[in-house]
Amino acid sequence: MNAKRNMAKEPQPREGETRQMEGLGLENVIERAQSHDAEALGEIYSRYVRRVFGLCRYMLNSREGAEDATSEVFLKLQGSIESYDGSIPFPRWLLRVAGNQCIDALRRRQRGLKVFVEVEDGAAVVEAASSEPSPLGAVISTQERAQVRDTIARLPENYRVPLVLRYYGELSYDEIAQELSLERNYVAALIFRAKQELRRRLAPRSK
Amino acid sequence: MECYSEQSCALAVDGELAPDEAQRLRDHLATCRRCRDLVDALRAENRVLSESLHELPEETASPVGFSHLGRSWVWGDLALMAAVLALGSISSIWFDEVSIPAALEWFNPFSSSGRTNLIFSLFDHFALGGTAMLTDYAAVVGFLSLLLLFGGALLLGRGRLRQPGLRLLIVLLALSLPSLALERRKGDFVTVAANETVDDTLMAAGNTVRIEGVVNGDLLAFGRTVEVRGTVKGDMVSLAKRTMVSGTVEGRIYTFSESLDLDGLLGHSLYGFAQNLRVNDRGRVGEGILAAAGDVTIEGDVKRSVDLLTSGNADVSGSIGRDLTMTGVRLTLTNTARVGGSLNARLRQLKEAHIADGATIAGKRDIQVQVRKSQLTRPKFYFHQAVWFAAAMLVGWLGLLLFPGFFRATTQAVGSGWLSLGLGVAVLAAVPVAMIVIGITLVGIPISLMLFAVYLTAIYLAKVWVGAFLGRTLLKPSGATRGDWMLGLLVGLLILTVVGFIPYLGGLVRLGVVCLGLGAFAAQLYRASRPVITA
Repeated sequence: MNAKRNMAKEPQPREGETRQMEGLGLENVIERAQSHDAEALGEIYSRYVRRVFGLCRYMLNSREGAEDATSEVFLKLQGSIESYDGSIPFPRWLLRVAGNQCIDALRRRQRGLKVFVEVEDGAAVVEAASSEPSPLGAVISTQERAQVRDTIARLPENYRVPLVLRYYGELSYDEIAQELSLERNYVAALIFRAKQELRRRLAPRSK
Repeated sequence: MECYSEQSCALAVDGELAPDEAQRLRDHLATCRRCRDLVDALRAENRVLSESLHELPEETASPVGFSHLGRSWVWGDLALMAAVLALGSISSIWFDEVSIPAALEWFNPFSSSGRTNLIFSLFDHFALGGTAMLTDYAAVVGFLSLLLLFGGALLLGRGRLRQPGLRLLIVLLALSLPSLALERRKGDFVTVAANETVDDTLMAAGNTVRIEGVVNGDLLAFGRTVEVRGTVKGDMVSLAKRTMVSGTVEGRIYTFSESLDLDGLLGHSLYGFAQNLRVNDRGRVGEGILAAAGDVTIEGDVKRSVDLLTSGNADVSGSIGRDLTMTGVRLTLTNTARVGGSLNARLRQLKEAHIADGATIAGKRDIQVQVRKSQLTRPKFYFHQAVWFAAAMLVGWLGLLLFPGFFRATTQAVGSGWLSLGLGVAVLAAVPVAMIVIGITLVGIPISLMLFAVYLTAIYLAKVWVGAFLGRTLLKPSGATRGDWMLGLLVGLLILTVVGFIPYLGGLVRLGVVCLGLGAFAAQLYRASRPVITA
């Protein structure tokens, strides 16, 4: 059987290693992961799987899809982590990778249709005379926060995705623009409009 | 100075305004209350957004092993499987000639085919496992029977059953009704031809059951060989020596087979209890696999988690979408293996984990060794042993007090040696089979239950009788008082307990003790039930 041949070198987990890893600083863990240390990659997985899954969940609006995307992110990480150069914080880098994965998934889902395209009124922003405070500002209870999440989940994709990348992924407008292949201004407009739409949808409930 | 637009304020709050512009805005804010309020409101809004999003919904609460079948579910699912078996058996007595015994042939340790692995697995488990006798026994041999008996109760209650369970429940409930819609076929060779479509749930029993056409409902198949080459649109329940799926099952597969080969497509999950389980390279599982099996081979694709309880090897060269969780002897992941989640393995020895360099695992690799030796270093262990020991002494004393004649006679009967041992092995293996056979009819369930209670009690008492016999043999007391008997028990039990901790040998000794004790008990029961002939 070729299984035997494939086992020239077997990574042998040592007892207590996981625990040692837990105490290690992120930099060390990343360094070890970059040299293909399975334990270190596992440690990164356990530290960030929830965060990554959360992003995918919000972006794809499907648990199944989010699980697939999360798996893909971490499977690919074994190769892609080499390209991490430390110029931005690792979690942000990882979430960018995850964001890309999700955008790919969204594009696949739309079967070639362009998901994020700049429409003609691109950067034109509907100015709201908002002397009124946002209904969102008054959200404090857990229930209300769940409502906010639900409403975000129901936003159209082109609003939801940049909003989630910004406020969950904590990516900058530039980074989001890069991920979505859009102009920075357009991203700003999308986020702005997404928030307006969110306020509109939440307003009757909180009154 | 003119006020800033809301979008500019929003950009500023997001930290996205150019530095000089941001400075001008800050200067403006110092003087403009309206803009200050707006910026504060936007800041509050951002905070709420961020907080709401970071507070992940409940479904994502578990950080590792998302969508992983929890350990506690494993037993629930296995219980359901047993329940399928039980209810399947019950419904199958609608047939004139019940084919259950034939289907169960491989499971019967006394069958001429004799290749039943169960007894060997059991033996292996005892010999190598060395875990507490009673619990292991209940888990392995009593497993099926226990669940068979309680499966029904489980199905009746608890709204906590998961979705596949509920679906199955509906299927089974539908079956238990005197439904005429159900299509039943029986014979030596039952087949649904390639150009044939069965619109209902099909219940088929025969030596060979072969589906080449389409079954639009569920398929319940009992036979030596069950083969699906066509399509089953619903779920499939198979109780067979050999189950082969090279076609498509769009629902779930619940199987209890000696071997299961999946070459085709399975829409949802596979729940199996098999000696040999294979997902070949063309096999595709739409959801996960939950199986208790001897050996498992996964060459194809499994979309979600795989949970395995094996008594042998698990070989993975295919792709698993989520976590791989296994308990067993040996785990092999070849270069082509791909695990989309974490790998959790519990093995006897670390060197039994063979993970090729090319194998891809997205998550953590958690390979644990089921260390048993370490328990000797824990004080808690000694405490437990002391409690168990005291309990056994107490039980012995009570037994002697309540049934002095029977206890003494059974102790004597242990002395028959090989005879007791042989009888014990037979009883040990035959009772579960008998319980299944009796339990097949609803009327028999209470009897089966009582039998089970006696069975477990006797297994527990086995060490008392053997211990007492051993003590007596060693001490050779002159008298036959209760005190002598108890002293014998004390010495015997001590020896048995200590010997029981010797790796490998201990397990064998424990098994031997159970067999000896059971044999003596059975022999004594037989003698006691005969009319007394006074010499």
